[in-house]
Amino acid sequence: MTPVTAHRARPARASRRRFSVTSPPWLFAAPALVVYAVVVLYPAVSGVVYAFTDWSGIGEDMSFVGLAQFRTLLGDEQALGSIVNTLLLTVAIVVVQNAVGLLLALGVHVRLRSRALLRVVFFAPVVVSPVMVAFLWKYLYNPDPSSGLNGLLGVRVDWLGDPSVALWSIAGMVIWQNAGYSMVIFLAGLEGVPPELHEAAKIDGAGTWQRFRFVTWPLLAPALTINLMLSTIGGLKLFDQVFAATNGGPGYATETLSTVLYKQAFVFGKFGYSTAIALVLALFVAAVSLVQVYYLRSREVTA
Amino acid sequence: MTDLLHDARVSRGQFLRMMGGLGAAAFATACSTRPQTSTPSGGGQATTELKFIGVSDQKTPMDQLVAAYRQAKPAVRITASYAPTDQVQTSVRTQLGAGNAPDLHVVYPGSGSAMSMSQIAEAGLLADLSAQAWTRTIPEGFRPAFQLDGKTYIYSAGSSVIGAVYNKKAFEQAGVEAPPTTWSEFLSVCDRLKKAGVVPIALGAQTPWVTQLITYALVPSTVYAKDPSFDDKQLAGQASFAQSGWREAMEMYLELQKRGFFNDNPNGTTFEQQTSMVATGKAAMAVQVSAVLPDFRKAASTPDDLSMFPVPGADDAAGVWIPAGVVVGLGAGAKGANVEEAKAFIDFLGKQENINAWAKAIAAIPLVQDAASTIDPAVESFLPFTKDRAVPFMDQRWPNAEVQPVHFAVIQELLAGESTIDEALRKMDEAYQK
Repeated sequence: MTPVTAHRARPARASRRRFSVTSPPWLFAAPALVVYAVVVLYPAVSGVVYAFTDWSGIGEDMSFVGLAQFRTLLGDEQALGSIVNTLLLTVAIVVVQNAVGLLLALGVHVRLRSRALLRVVFFAPVVVSPVMVAFLWKYLYNPDPSSGLNGLLGVRVDWLGDPSVALWSIAGMVIWQNAGYSMVIFLAGLEGVPPELHEAAKIDGAGTWQRFRFVTWPLLAPALTINLMLSTIGGLKLFDQVFAATNGGPGYATETLSTVLYKQAFVFGKFGYSTAIALVLALFVAAVSLVQVYYLRSREVTA
Repeated sequence: MTDLLHDARVSRGQFLRMMGGLGAAAFATACSTRPQTSTPSGGGQATTELKFIGVSDQKTPMDQLVAAYRQAKPAVRITASYAPTDQVQTSVRTQLGAGNAPDLHVVYPGSGSAMSMSQIAEAGLLADLSAQAWTRTIPEGFRPAFQLDGKTYIYSAGSSVIGAVYNKKAFEQAGVEAPPTTWSEFLSVCDRLKKAGVVPIALGAQTPWVTQLITYALVPSTVYAKDPSFDDKQLAGQASFAQSGWREAMEMYLELQKRGFFNDNPNGTTFEQQTSMVATGKAAMAVQVSAVLPDFRKAASTPDDLSMFPVPGADDAAGVWIPAGVVVGLGAGAKGANVEEAKAFIDFLGKQENINAWAKAIAAIPLVQDAASTIDPAVESFLPFTKDRAVPFMDQRWPNAEVQPVHFAVIQELLAGESTIDEALRKMDEAYQK
């Protein structure tokens, strides 16, 4: 590495630094913030207005209806049912995806000869588009007893066609795709656990489980915070996989808030109502994430 | 990598200038990709470029007719793009909402979908085509699909029918000589097919739109044969799904399931799987719309084995009616810069030879027929019905876009055994009244 010598060779450049090292100047973030404001914030905020109208999505016919759309939501059987589905899916995904991710991370953290390859293999599904994953899994979930997952496992399950199974089938494919992502974050956390702590614990007579429970686990807290938050947000706004695999069916068995709001806007032509649902979803996700971060941060420790 | 960055002698100023340059370049390219609307061409004439967005089913006929239009009128260039129905619904509606709709775009006949003629025309976004000569030849029974308040807003080349797409070989092997003409014959044919070890009816109910086809095939006989003015009465609030032949049609639908005439797990089976089951002879038939005949033929090793017959929804052969719906069409945006040119193209599509060409490409029955019209041999058995025993697809007269998706969902629930016919019809009536 030559950076130090490079700086020494040109002291004039170093003296041009007017900002202190500890507080990074906000000015640097300005270009990104401007782009973010123009591309994300402004459209999002200007879209919120529609939640208080009855706009159909096309034409100029639109009137202000106050909170009527939100009252409709409270009495909408389908939308409320989709909230239950969304919560069930989120809980399943958050718990299983992170458990699997953690196990995979612990597995590929040990000094295996093939661990580099395994890391790539487990991470590979993450880079595939979620819609492609859904189409792939539609083949695996073929109800025919001799093909796909049924053929592999020797069972006869109508994975996507049975209303009591379909939701969990979707959770399964989401977990398959995203467990590698959790793994990578946990792996980064594991790399940060100082080996001398493990050594010390070993000398004190701690077994493998105790070392995990009292050394590794507490130090993984920051990774856990990020993983739980990302998977919760991902679960709550899940759309692509549901849309491609079942489109909310059979019946309404796999309808999530995101698929409902999509249908309201683009299938039923109720843009105003759809925006109201989207607004509720966004506020809900924000609230859950804030509570989660606040709680999880409080239990983080440093080595 | 870090070494390289540190050693590179680029000052902050230089760096910012570079980034600025990149940004400007990107901006310039973005602007230059906008379609050029008036480039001079041969003969000093200005070229008009028209944009069309359609659904995948329209690609074959449009490619053909756009090429023909190029010959007829070289000064107009039409650039077409296609996508599956769901995506088109999303993108075109968004463009319509934002006020930058394409010059020409897909429009669904009637009123029952978010991209339907009535809903877009009501928002004032479709150009009035009533002055064009072809619109005066639209058969009386089809007018509601084309017109709102007496004005025509959509072009469509004809109609397609719903019936049973069947594999002649599978029928022969089971000893079935002729397609059934009454409901009880239909049931006994299914029975014979089942005994011969073939799935009588392939049903791909995981694909939402496939769920509706069996009810659509039966309702003309159980509802409209008895009361041709059912739609008007229902619109006036004097009739409902629950108190009509819809109940009978749903009972017949479920009877087919109860007797084991469908493949296992229809809710987990897709349209593609359904298609291949019939094409390969694993299943004997599928109730489908004639517009997808090309898909079945593509999947079959001997396409000539496939044909169609009307599904008999009544025990009296004279009481059998069929569904014949106007096929998906297109309209011209009312607010574009090239409305007149776009309308001129539609006028061109309205010529008899072009109606014939479009209909032929999708195995449809031409809107108006002349001596040169050809009709796919597979749908010939429907022709005796088209004059006075045919009704448009039910959703084309439904008042909003919600009834159809509710119909999909309740059929899936019924097939899963999670609902009752009462409950299903109640939900459909509720959606109808919204």
